[in-house]
Amino acid sequence: MGDFRKTGKGVIDTQQPVSFTFDGKSYSGFKGDTLASALLANGVHLMGRSFKYHRPRGPVGAGFEEPNALVTVTRGKGRMTPNLRATAIEIYEGMMASSQNRWPGLGFDIGAFNNTFSAFFPAGFYNKTFMWPKSFWDKVYEPFIRNMAGLGPAPTEVDPDVYGAVYGHCDILIIGSGPAGLAAALAAAKKDQRVILVDENVNMGGSLIGAGHVSIDEKSASDWVAKALKDLNKADNVVLMTRTSAIGYYHDNFVALAERLTDYIPEAQIGKTREKLHRIRAGKVILAQGAIERPLVFNGNDKPGVMLTSAAQTFLNKYGVAVGKEVAVFTAHDSAYSAAFELADSNVRIAAIIDAREGVSAELISAAEGRGIDVHIGSVISKTGGKKRVRSVEVYEPVHNTQKTIACDALLMSGGWTPSLHLWSQSKGSIKWDEAKGVYLPDLANENCVCIGSCNGDFGIKAALDAGSKAGGGRKVYKTDEPVFGSGQVFDHLPNYIKPSKTKAFVDFQNDVTDKDIKLAVREGFKSIEHVKRYTTNGMATDQGKLSNLNALEIAAKALGKQAPQVGLTTFRPPYTPTTFGTFCGYRTDDLFEVTRKTAIDPWAEAQGAVFEPVGIWRRAWYFPKAGEDMHAAVARECKATRDSLGIFDASTLGKIEVVGPDAAKFMNIMYTNPWSKLGVGACRYGLMLGENGYIYDDGVVGRIAEDRFHVTTTTGGAPRVYRHMEDYLQTEFPELDVWLTSTTEQWSVIALNGPNARKLIEPFVEGIDLSPEAFPHMNVREGKICGVPTRLFRVSFSGELGFEINVPSHYGRAVWETLFAAGEQFDITPYGTETMHVLRAEKGFIIIGQDTDGTVTPQDAGMSWIVSKKKKDFVGKRSLQRSDLVAEGRKQLIGLLTDDPKTVLEEGAHIVADPDQSIPMDMLGHVTSSYWSESLGKSIAMALVKDGFNRMGDDLYIPMEGGVTHKAKVVKPVFYDPKGERLNVV
Amino acid sequence: MSSDIVFDQAVEIPDILKSGDVVTTLVGERTRLSLRVKAADRIAVAKALGITLPAKIGKTNTKAGIMIACLGPDEWFIVGEKAKYSNLYNKALKLSSKYVMSVTDVSFRNVAVELTGPKVAEIVNVGCPLDLSLAAFPVGKCTRTVYEAAPIILHRLSEDSFAMECWRSYAPYMVGLMTAHVQGQRV
Amino acid sequence: MMLIHCPYCDEKRPEIEFAYAGEAHIVRPNAAEQQAMDDVEWSKFMFIRDNKRGEHCERWWHANGCNMYFNAVRNTVTDKFIKSYKIGQKRPSAAQIQKWKDQANG
Ligand SMILES: [Zn+2]
Repeated sequence: MGDFRKTGKGVIDTQQPVSFTFDGKSYSGFKGDTLASALLANGVHLMGRSFKYHRPRGPVGAGFEEPNALVTVTRGKGRMTPNLRATAIEIYEGMMASSQNRWPGLGFDIGAFNNTFSAFFPAGFYNKTFMWPKSFWDKVYEPFIRNMAGLGPAPTEVDPDVYGAVYGHCDILIIGSGPAGLAAALAAAKKDQRVILVDENVNMGGSLIGAGHVSIDEKSASDWVAKALKDLNKADNVVLMTRTSAIGYYHDNFVALAERLTDYIPEAQIGKTREKLHRIRAGKVILAQGAIERPLVFNGNDKPGVMLTSAAQTFLNKYGVAVGKEVAVFTAHDSAYSAAFELADSNVRIAAIIDAREGVSAELISAAEGRGIDVHIGSVISKTGGKKRVRSVEVYEPVHNTQKTIACDALLMSGGWTPSLHLWSQSKGSIKWDEAKGVYLPDLANENCVCIGSCNGDFGIKAALDAGSKAGGGRKVYKTDEPVFGSGQVFDHLPNYIKPSKTKAFVDFQNDVTDKDIKLAVREGFKSIEHVKRYTTNGMATDQGKLSNLNALEIAAKALGKQAPQVGLTTFRPPYTPTTFGTFCGYRTDDLFEVTRKTAIDPWAEAQGAVFEPVGIWRRAWYFPKAGEDMHAAVARECKATRDSLGIFDASTLGKIEVVGPDAAKFMNIMYTNPWSKLGVGACRYGLMLGENGYIYDDGVVGRIAEDRFHVTTTTGGAPRVYRHMEDYLQTEFPELDVWLTSTTEQWSVIALNGPNARKLIEPFVEGIDLSPEAFPHMNVREGKICGVPTRLFRVSFSGELGFEINVPSHYGRAVWETLFAAGEQFDITPYGTETMHVLRAEKGFIIIGQDTDGTVTPQDAGMSWIVSKKKKDFVGKRSLQRSDLVAEGRKQLIGLLTDDPKTVLEEGAHIVADPDQSIPMDMLGHVTSSYWSESLGKSIAMALVKDGFNRMGDDLYIPMEGGVTHKAKVVKPVFYDPKGERLNVV
Repeated sequence: MSSDIVFDQAVEIPDILKSGDVVTTLVGERTRLSLRVKAADRIAVAKALGITLPAKIGKTNTKAGIMIACLGPDEWFIVGEKAKYSNLYNKALKLSSKYVMSVTDVSFRNVAVELTGPKVAEIVNVGCPLDLSLAAFPVGKCTRTVYEAAPIILHRLSEDSFAMECWRSYAPYMVGLMTAHVQGQRV
Repeated sequence: MMLIHCPYCDEKRPEIEFAYAGEAHIVRPNAAEQQAMDDVEWSKFMFIRDNKRGEHCERWWHANGCNMYFNAVRNTVTDKFIKSYKIGQKRPSAAQIQKWKDQANG
């Protein structure tokens, strides 16, 4: 251990120390540190264990691309976030972080036996091993895999934090605030357009942060960044968003941004929005996401202390942390030299530069030698020493076949640069292979989008700045003083004298995929890179292969004997970086998860202790239990009270559509099977609607309010699709009809009164309507007033009793209900819910669409041929009803069932057979669609769809249940109660 | 009408929405009509009703106590003060025999809120995906759209003020989303 | 989320306001035609669709907007809308679609 902090560097505030714990041990860092930089400043490199082999790992990167240093941060009950990258999270006072994927401790991990036996865990090990016998899956393989697999533990408690979501719009969205993004924003800010600049980091500036050796337009890089940000902050057309990751790029420049709002605050209060999803629609998108350095694939490249050269540079410049005291550098690219020099100039000893290339520029070598750094040209690292931290490297020079061991406490690697094309590819922009640079670059755009700077292959600060200015609509040419970026060489293989079976060179650090795994996959016949990816799991970890994809491609291409572009790249998918579920949910959790539609009368039902059920997205009162009653008792009581005296029911959810216009009746004739032209004003008729396929689509009572006006009702759940269906036919097939549709579902509250005392109850409250049976017969509608508010009063019945459906303006619905309910005391008025409604209608054999029909039932099947007009030339579904299949014998038909034992209530959905003794699988004739205990009849009743049901009247059928019980039932007509309908006429 | 017949609009505005950057109010009882008129009769019907029926979708005409919005090619949504315009429905009904048109009373179908304040667009954009810059959504524009899962009618009353209506049963959801957003920022 | 141009609103509006409504230009036979069709012909009208890879004429409903049904040509591979047009307008020819594409590309 020791102090690795370099003062006077970076964005950290050394005046503000911050203490935190990692695996229970206390450490101190500074405000501005990431967890990784603070731990590295304390000399801690070991931050996690790998996924498959549980190998000790430290950070490889310094930002969001990090594959290794995954930690869990806990801040109280339910507030535990696993799989956070230590390199991307800010420390705060009291932060509690812990390592993952190890047991019992990070230093000693039992799972590491996988490492010892890693010869037995090659690519595809899981696929190959856990195949047989099948019964082993549940009991042996799956628990084993579940124990061994997985990264951090999933939280088990409800997340108490809140998340948000908003839409946003801009003319220019710039993603990434390095030199390219900042220059683009500066140029765009000068035009009259809305600009959003986002960066996933805390500070804007990207690679310019702490780049003290670089000057831009005669200013130091940090002064230039400060001035740029000052100007942008002043511009009121520019929005700057930090701690914000662009996670997904969708159609028509719709980009998802995840903004982290509280994770860095010591006392992040519950209730304050933790993260927010910004759904941005941009006119133009400028991607300035930079490039990520490529690791080198060599034996022992995964030890803690081995990291990307650029990461070491970032830790030094941004956080003032030296990653070691004696640092070796292994490179195949010129850019590593300037990083090494920066470290050397900050008094970090560079143990050696090992360059895999034969040809390196003389200037670089002499600059190194000028700093007293040994450079080994044409050399590689053949192995690394140390267990939980790299302690030495063995330098191998193939030409002379010599090895030399050099002591070090950190090893930097640089295999060149990979432009970040993730969002570009998500936008469906095409990519092309650049042979000279050995990288994929953006090619043709699919959206109004450009890539600039190093993600476009324009490496170097000046190149990025100039490209930025141009993309932002400017023409500025910047002057910089910066080290030459140089070039590099791509190696698909680094030589080693050690036998391959004794080496372990990692490609994907998080998923523990080695070069041997990829070669094995190719040997076993996988030719597509997508298959190689899935077989080896390369690039499938939470970092999505940000570091590994290109190396895997090179190795696979070489093994296949092809060029990289012939093999192709795997698909980039959102999210770009791991994102919390909370961010995706936004506000839509708990009460706001889904809309729950409630009627005006719902609060009354709730106060009465009603039990509710969802119907579509409505919630409806299901039944009203009194103290001590279960559902069966409550429903039996509600049914009896309704038939004996008076029940009151909230039918407000019924869909209502007002069909109005000179051609209203003509339109109704098209949409429903039965005729409407002769229906008198003030009269009602039950209507049946079919789909064009001839199957029952919806039903409901329709009242003719005026010659040109129908008040149509639909089923509760069917209202939206019936409206859509009607609009579709009206607008696209019958546009010549002068008729219009208006949804009035919520204009009206509907209070259904059923029972012999229904008329008596409403008489004193109704004005302007003669309620006498002669003046107001069954199936009629009148307009007038009730309780002083306007009403459309329907005399209809879905129970078989004398019934009224009182439509009143919904804002008065509850008041009218309460008035009637109070007055109903004299009749023992009983509120009932949907269950009693269902029982009452089933006793009368009325169907429920979607329960007794399932989208394959014709009117004939339902025993409703009477409602299908023979005279009308056309209505929706007419031609299909004549299809041979729909008139064939052997269709399932709706019948009634009475169980042998009247106390047995059949299970809805139960299958029906003719012979219960046949062998399994039995020949099933159909199923029970509705089944209830009928208190009024003192026995159970059921409806069923049964093959050839109409020809089976009087037959016994059987309903075999699980557990060997078989019920016997007789086929009857599905009208159980008051078949003559006399009770409608109670005076 | 007896005094115990209470007018109830399904939702109340929570205190947190009544102050701050955006002030939300619940609109009281209104006369609301859905008017449909065949193109040829538009001007005549407008004249007979004493109102203007804007010809272009999204346009509104507002005068004392009444707002008329063109929502579709032959569709107008009318919101009027109850005292002044409670008879408009019957007036339109009488025209039905003379012109090719339809009128439907939807006064009680909707619940409306008005939002006013400098950050009003942000609250609307919590659930509404439309661009609310003045260039894209000028003062006076009115359209059906969505507020997350709730279909709404959105009307810009001024640079920093919107009216938002939804069907009655969606009102708690609509107001709930606004509340969640403001709460998450205020804590 | 796509932006869809509604020919009635004459605006590009977010996809969430619309509902897809299947292939366009499938005309429902009138009463006499229906009766003249045999079951095979009728089933073709009912069930058989092009399921086209490429430029596809299809119906959309601006349900949470102007409430109008309209037609549009969309490339089912790229998901790009080429043009939307009002109900009643004829199915565009290949030449017409090409012309629209040329116009869009300036
Ligand atoms: Zn439209």
